[in-house]
Amino acid sequence: MKRTRVLALFLALMLLTVLPGCGKTAENVPASGLGNGTEPVSHMELQYARQFSVDEYADGCRLITVQDDGRYLVVPEGVTAPKGISSDIVVLQRPLQNVYLAATAVMSLIDSLGVLDGIGLSGTQADKWYNDNAREAMEEGRIRFAGKYSEPDYEMILSAGCPLAIESTMIYHKPEVREKLESLGVPVFVERSGRETSPLGRTEWIKVYGVLFDKEEEAQQLFDQQAAMMEEAEKDEPTGKTVAFFYISSSGSAVVRKSGDYVAKMIQLAGGTYIFSDLGEEDSSASTTAMDMETFYQKAKDADVVIYNATIAGELDSVATLVARNPLLAEFKAVKEGNVWCSDQNIYQETMQLGSMVLELHCLLTTDDPAGTQLHYFYHLK
Amino acid sequence: METEAKSRCARRIVVLAVMILALLALIAANINLGSVRISLSEMTRILTGRAADATAADIVWKIRMPRLLAAVLLGGALSLSGFLLQTFFNNPIAGPYILGISSGAKLTVALMMVLVLGSGRTMGSGWMIVSAFVGAMLSMGFVLLISTRVNRASMLIVSGVMVGYICSAVTDFVVTFADDASIVNLHNWSRGSFSGISWGDIRVMTWVVLMTSVLVFLLSKPIGAYQMGESYAQNMGVNIGAFRVELVLLSSILSACVTAFAGPVSFVGIAVPYIVKSLLKTARPLWVIPVCFLGGAIFCLGCDLIARTVFSPMELSISSVTAVFGAPVVIGIMLKKRRGR
Amino acid sequence: MAYLFETKQMTVGYNGVPLIRNVEIRLEKGHILTLIGPNGAGKSTILKSIAKYLKTVYGTAYISGESVAEMSNRRLARQMAVVLTQKMKTELMTCREIVETGRYPYTGRLGILAPEDHRQVREAMEQVHVWDLRHRDFMHISDGQRQRVMLARAICQQPQIIVLDEPSSFLDIRYKLELLDALRDMAREKGISVIMSLHELDLAQRVSDEVMCVKGEYITHYGTPDTIFKKELIHQLYGLTEGGYNPYFGSLEMRRPTGEPRVFVIAGGGTGMEVYRSLQRSQTPFITGILHENDIDCQVAWDLASEVVAERAFCSISDASYQQAEEALRRCPEVINCLTAYGEINGRNRDLLEAASAMGCRIRQAAVVAR
Repeated sequence: MKRTRVLALFLALMLLTVLPGCGKTAENVPASGLGNGTEPVSHMELQYARQFSVDEYADGCRLITVQDDGRYLVVPEGVTAPKGISSDIVVLQRPLQNVYLAATAVMSLIDSLGVLDGIGLSGTQADKWYNDNAREAMEEGRIRFAGKYSEPDYEMILSAGCPLAIESTMIYHKPEVREKLESLGVPVFVERSGRETSPLGRTEWIKVYGVLFDKEEEAQQLFDQQAAMMEEAEKDEPTGKTVAFFYISSSGSAVVRKSGDYVAKMIQLAGGTYIFSDLGEEDSSASTTAMDMETFYQKAKDADVVIYNATIAGELDSVATLVARNPLLAEFKAVKEGNVWCSDQNIYQETMQLGSMVLELHCLLTTDDPAGTQLHYFYHLK
Repeated sequence: METEAKSRCARRIVVLAVMILALLALIAANINLGSVRISLSEMTRILTGRAADATAADIVWKIRMPRLLAAVLLGGALSLSGFLLQTFFNNPIAGPYILGISSGAKLTVALMMVLVLGSGRTMGSGWMIVSAFVGAMLSMGFVLLISTRVNRASMLIVSGVMVGYICSAVTDFVVTFADDASIVNLHNWSRGSFSGISWGDIRVMTWVVLMTSVLVFLLSKPIGAYQMGESYAQNMGVNIGAFRVELVLLSSILSACVTAFAGPVSFVGIAVPYIVKSLLKTARPLWVIPVCFLGGAIFCLGCDLIARTVFSPMELSISSVTAVFGAPVVIGIMLKKRRGR
Repeated sequence: MAYLFETKQMTVGYNGVPLIRNVEIRLEKGHILTLIGPNGAGKSTILKSIAKYLKTVYGTAYISGESVAEMSNRRLARQMAVVLTQKMKTELMTCREIVETGRYPYTGRLGILAPEDHRQVREAMEQVHVWDLRHRDFMHISDGQRQRVMLARAICQQPQIIVLDEPSSFLDIRYKLELLDALRDMAREKGISVIMSLHELDLAQRVSDEVMCVKGEYITHYGTPDTIFKKELIHQLYGLTEGGYNPYFGSLEMRRPTGEPRVFVIAGGGTGMEVYRSLQRSQTPFITGILHENDIDCQVAWDLASEVVAERAFCSISDASYQQAEEALRRCPEVINCLTAYGEINGRNRDLLEAASAMGCRIRQAAVVAR
């Protein structure tokens, strides 16, 4: 029928216009150099981090390049930004204030640097912060809740004159939020520390925030401290003990870290052996994988130590509660021998303390009296 | 005109006038209210281009205006889509998603999230929108294909439900390979939201929704014939086969558009046409089509205002609010149906 | 002669399986054709095929020489209108709006009615006396009124032929008559032809110009009412085993009482009918006489009595008939006399009565009921 044909044509036309009509695609491969002919004076030395790099220029400007993401030129206070730079570079003028922080892992780094005042808006509510200073600042109104990353309160952000939004990789699932923020003139910085494969690599991201908030020396110091703690843990011989790190999801499967993940590395550094040595591909973005209980049982029942990850599934108060999650767990060697630990909910947020955590893991693995050992990031389950 | 006809006409004009006023009032309220206070005088200055405060002007033009325009256009689209399907199935509780469109859209969005984002690449919002739209239209295509084999309208509902179930099952399968971030975001997507709409989106939306709505209006005559039943419509000269396809296609384009830009928004398509017909006391398409669009716009605009201001800065999902207002209406319809028997 | 509507070798059925073959209809302008036949015989199938709701297995129908199969739906809409039996469920439509839809083939893009269309609507509604209902909601009126509104709608379409599928099934006798009267008027005054199916044989006999009997694979009878409405034909068409059909009135009688007759009913001139029927209800077998062959009582008696003593029309009762009656009387211990008046030709019934009392039969006088 003539009318249906017209309709079909209309539909095809529409699809053609919809395709290029809305949104922008993120540029994936940043070019190198400022684009105006200036060459960097030096490059920041990075020992572990792979997801970012920092170039230093003559007038004190720093170019932060985030892997597979964007480039940010941090211009010191009192200095004017150079002319003629590439259009993809975002210019950030120090001092940065009223920053919108929607990446929970970054707070501990910022707090240790002592630059909490730079943050004005948070993507997490007060009672969800483990960092005491952050919570206090929110309760006192110095930091305001501006909506979570997926539904930010654009009006609040805009009216606060926010110069930068620091987001986690979750923002990749919500490209329209990023595009909206950028269209409102708020640049978005995606922190990719979670994609680092080594734990110290994660901690090394503190140097980025050091650049952003003019605390580069302090950042270097803090990092060196954590690196030292890590080395101390590595000094001892490997204990040879196998460790299982997992949680039981609501659908009944066991969610474990992949072999290349930073938690697995931490266990390695602490002298333990992560039970899965060949799990997962290196380049995929997920750091965990779900496994059915049978397979997990087969591989993990003989682990010497079990650490239950309470970050997602909620804290446990006893071995009985753990076994209630899945009765198979009662057959685990570690459970029978009383070597069950639970990680605190804050280990995800306390990125700054990874070194201390490795030390504690080392303690956990070498102690003769598990029940009597008091740790900050892990606790023994009775 | 006789008095009876005159009073009915007057009633409809009054309803129309009240609704237009309500729409204007809601638009004004939506410009005015939000997490940032903007006084009325400032608002008029901003609207006439003599803004004193650039930030406030930005808030109004870049955040509130696109959002309210989206609510108007998409609300109208949903309402029309619901009306078309209710006429088609001669059933007042048919809604825009009865043909499984939202399940199809959810499937393609899940696929995009798992395949593209899961492998570490990023994509722009345009791709999410297109994938949702394509998913919706594909599932509609399947439904139409199945229904051409069987010549009864009731088979369409069955096919729609089946396609919906199949899509959901495949989505669950896809989600097992997804990381937690994707799962959470997929869940949030399926609750619907008008947040984050840009002017680029509005341009596309306006074009699609207005053009489709005009086409729907031009179909008033066969729709009116169809209200008598398929047999009589055919006898009056309506080409039933083509008309069915047109109805389903137009209705799907409208609801696919909404799903693509704002996710599935429920209850608007079922409740608004019913309310409109009760107010106008007629089912004549020439009246019902434009007033339905108006009614949908008002409903969505009102609900969105509530969704974003009540627990500010947290936002309620738009579907929760539309459910609060829409569900009692749907229950009312069902009760009335039973009593009428 | 040019027929308005004809079918040529039309074979109808579902899914290509033939149900009725070689249907040949020849209908003139302004004539009414009625299809009669048992349930499930295929009347609706034929009507649906004519109205293009069903594809014919073979052959097609022609309106004024144009093939219906090749006509577009829009052209067919101006030629043919339908009134169907199915229950309609409309929402918030007034009767007037329903009738206005009949103007569909004549209105413009958006279906807005011109003054001429309004005039047609008014005329059609007044013709079937539903103009007063025009503002009422269609779902809130009675079945009979609804049917008439649908007929008005069909008239509005200004067709050459109207197809109706059992249009009077749900109507009471008043509305049945009104509907058929309206159809008849339409056919006569506007020259619209009608094809319909009816279950009411009495009405079919009265309203139709032609009748078609639908039973079995081929159409066996097709003609004017006087050739169709015959006792044996109807009995055979509907497979009547119980009761009887009276072609003169198109009326039906219930099952004849079986067994040896015990009652003799003297009747004539319409006095006996009620007695016969009451005896039928109590299933009492009876003999009746002496009636005349053109007497109304005779019509009923032939269906209900075990034996009828009848005299030729217009003749006085002969000796032979009287003898017959007397013999029958001997077998019956009871006698009911319905007659109160005796005339020239049935005077000997009085003698019969006296003979009955002499024989010692129990005699009862039937109550006289004023009509």
